[in-house]
Amino acid sequence: MNSATALQIFFSSLNLGSIYAALGLGLFVVYSVTRVLNLAQGEFIMLGGMLTVNFYQVGIPLFVSIVMAIALTILAGLVLYRFFFYPARRSSGATKVFLTLSFAFIVDGIALRVWGWEFRSLPAFFNTQSFQLWGATIFGQTPWVTGITFLMVTGLFLFFGRTIWGKALRACANEPLGARLVGISIERMTLFAFSLAAGLGAAVGALITPLTMTSYSIGLPLTAKGLLAAFVGGITRAEGVVLGGFVYGMIEAVTAGTVPGGYHNVIAPLILAIIFVARRRGLLATSQEG
Amino acid sequence: MFANTKVIKDIIPPKIASAKLHNLALVLFATVMMTIPFGASPYPLTVMVDVGLYSIISMGLILFMGLAGQISLGHAAFFGCGAYISGILTTEYHIAPWLALFLAALITGSIAALIGRLIFRLHGLILAGVTLALNLVFFYLVSSLVDVTGGTMGMMNIPPLSWGQFTSQNLLFNYYLVWIVVILLLVFSLNLADSRAGRALRALNIHAGGSEYAAQVLGVNVTRYKVWVFVLSAVYASLAGSIYAHYTRIIEPNSFMVQSSAMLALMVITGGRSSPWGALLGAGLIVGLRQILRELIPALVGELSGAYELIAYGIILALMLLFLPGGLISLGRRAVPKRESSQDED
Amino acid sequence: MKTNLASLKIAMTSRKKHKKYASGTSLLEVKNVSKTFGVLTVLKNVSFSAQEGNILVIIGPNGAGKSTLLKLTSGLLPLEEGEIWFKQQRLNGLAPHYIASLGITQLFQDIQLFLNMSVIENVMVGCHLSSKTDFVSSGLRLGWAKADEKMIFKRAMSQLSLVGLKDKAFSSPISLSWGQQKLVGLARALATSADLLLLDEPYSGLLGDEIEWLNQLILGLRRQGMTIIIIEHLTDILMGIADQVIVLDHGEKIAEGTPAKIKSNKIVIDAYLGDESSKMDG
Repeated sequence: MNSATALQIFFSSLNLGSIYAALGLGLFVVYSVTRVLNLAQGEFIMLGGMLTVNFYQVGIPLFVSIVMAIALTILAGLVLYRFFFYPARRSSGATKVFLTLSFAFIVDGIALRVWGWEFRSLPAFFNTQSFQLWGATIFGQTPWVTGITFLMVTGLFLFFGRTIWGKALRACANEPLGARLVGISIERMTLFAFSLAAGLGAAVGALITPLTMTSYSIGLPLTAKGLLAAFVGGITRAEGVVLGGFVYGMIEAVTAGTVPGGYHNVIAPLILAIIFVARRRGLLATSQEG
Repeated sequence: MFANTKVIKDIIPPKIASAKLHNLALVLFATVMMTIPFGASPYPLTVMVDVGLYSIISMGLILFMGLAGQISLGHAAFFGCGAYISGILTTEYHIAPWLALFLAALITGSIAALIGRLIFRLHGLILAGVTLALNLVFFYLVSSLVDVTGGTMGMMNIPPLSWGQFTSQNLLFNYYLVWIVVILLLVFSLNLADSRAGRALRALNIHAGGSEYAAQVLGVNVTRYKVWVFVLSAVYASLAGSIYAHYTRIIEPNSFMVQSSAMLALMVITGGRSSPWGALLGAGLIVGLRQILRELIPALVGELSGAYELIAYGIILALMLLFLPGGLISLGRRAVPKRESSQDED
Repeated sequence: MKTNLASLKIAMTSRKKHKKYASGTSLLEVKNVSKTFGVLTVLKNVSFSAQEGNILVIIGPNGAGKSTLLKLTSGLLPLEEGEIWFKQQRLNGLAPHYIASLGITQLFQDIQLFLNMSVIENVMVGCHLSSKTDFVSSGLRLGWAKADEKMIFKRAMSQLSLVGLKDKAFSSPISLSWGQQKLVGLARALATSADLLLLDEPYSGLLGDEIEWLNQLILGLRRQGMTIIIIEHLTDILMGIADQVIVLDHGEKIAEGTPAKIKSNKIVIDAYLGDESSKMDG
């Protein structure tokens, strides 16, 4: 393997890694507050992309489209919370997970009805040309994806680790009674978590559309991958999720670059699953949780 | 009483129906199903075959999800395993279809045993995520192995099952094959549910009020039971898959994707997780709904019903979970009063 | 609860007598057991032994590590430091269900009944170890599986009668009072025919009559030759039925002996019993 290919793989790792990290963080945000897996996280990403395409194709400027798409997706997140999650707040975790699944179904159905089943794309945000960097070919969009998701990931990371709000969010799942006693409203925190996850997902969706195209059905497979990445790193901690995302990105990039055919989609999840099972609780989770 | 009490809204009450009622219901059911074909036109029969196939998988899933309280969002993969293994054995290795059916179940069961041993320390929601991912892996695997499976184009010309002069090209043959299997598995499942093994499985159902700790100190080998019920549910799915492959003679990866797994979960939840009868109810209802939509939507709105089906499934799933978590089956039982429980679940 | 104590005494004598384990050695031996969770040391170098047919009571303030000790014995928590021997077999690293098959069972503080089964089915799970029917034989309803099932049912019913709840057999556990649920849990534990019964605060939540009822039950079980380890706070009552008392404080054993000795042990009184005995009468 020559250095150009290696470099290509490296950049690809960064790219995929930050996408999966962002995906995982969206899942983490909801999980850390509610201890529930939001199976509709992929749908937020889908909505981000599809809505942006929709607005853009009607003539609205690209960045305005993105903002509108994010806003609408956040609205969808609110709907998920208010009409699916909140009524079931006293039910078991499994019920809540399936409710997010039902939301995913509905959103997919609406998306299919409104936009059809074709794949859609967007032009790259600034430079539409691919460019050369130290011998590796990079699409114009890629640095944006990597850069912005990286920023989001770092921001969230700091948010959860350092700020009061972040800690309050985590307290809601770890210690609901204690959280209430100090005046934290769990309902409001959950609402915030869903909005954050939705906004984050939408932003990622808009970013990756120029790279990977989007359609109504990308939701569930993305969620599955995001879950795997999050588990491997340890879904109980933000660092774990980010690490898991990058590990997944790296494995996928490496296998995509070295193994022919579409097998990277098989091998990467398998390797991850094996790591997860062997490690049992994720690479960074504490011994009590997992 | 303790600090972490929660009202569990969706506790499923114990099944205290009498054996006699069940036997009567079974006999009645069997009689009805066997006599339906006389005087029925082909279209409803085709639908009934679908209902039957889904019922088989759902019954297995109910043993796993309903009885033992685990979550699987990837069972379509086992359905696919049965289908593809049957297909490969018959087209590549020219093994007789009936033998292939049996071997496929064996192989699928073994794969499930392997996976089961590895993932059974995982609990509830994490299990859900991993099964989802495994379904994905299956899909990509099958799509990639183009030489063996035909890739995304699918596998064709799978030989039909035959019995004397009847083959699975024959609708009636299929109908009876599927429904006889359904009835046999129904009896098996009902027996299992009300036995020592069934009680052990129910004891593991944390979400419905069971307790793994209590089960363990009473001597129940939790891991072994979890793995076994996983394997059993995989075998059910594999049987359905093989029958499906020999019936439609063409299979492609998309039928075994995550959406199908989700639909299976939908059937289980709609019909009722706590009894194998729920599988039949759920499968019947969802397939029925699907057919109605396929008739109605083009007539009313002039479009294909795919999107509306998805929306309908989502709405029904949500309604069931919010208002009738025990599924339709629970309508036939006394309502459980809301009650504080000191169980910590999840 | 309306059933009276006299009928309990009759029921108890009809129960099968326990086989005596090789006399001379202790049934249960706990040797230098320690347990830490991260930085928190819950148990520190605890050692004691329980003789067959004895009632051993473990007392101590909350957080002293009593429940942890029970869970280490039944295998629910991994035992890394120290050893526990039961019937001269080392329990370290064994799975809980296997330990159960050796003859140890536990009743939890919060009982943990199977709320998704009827009362009788709960007790029938207790009989799990006495049968061998598996998936296939159950599903096919083989002849011996059916006979087995009948046997389990009868056994479970007799355990239920023992605790006086036969008429509640087909009810849901949710509909029972806490005291009744406790008794169902006990019936379930007894159904395992265990030689060593671990009871974690069995008296908590019981009122008036129920306490005396449980006392008689426990005494009756001892008469049958069963060994019982009880964790409790109600020291007054337990002093009456205990053969041996162990006092834990902050994970360490600070005293051991007969009830009389413990009551007059200065260290114990200072640490724990002091406040208690000044609150209670006599």
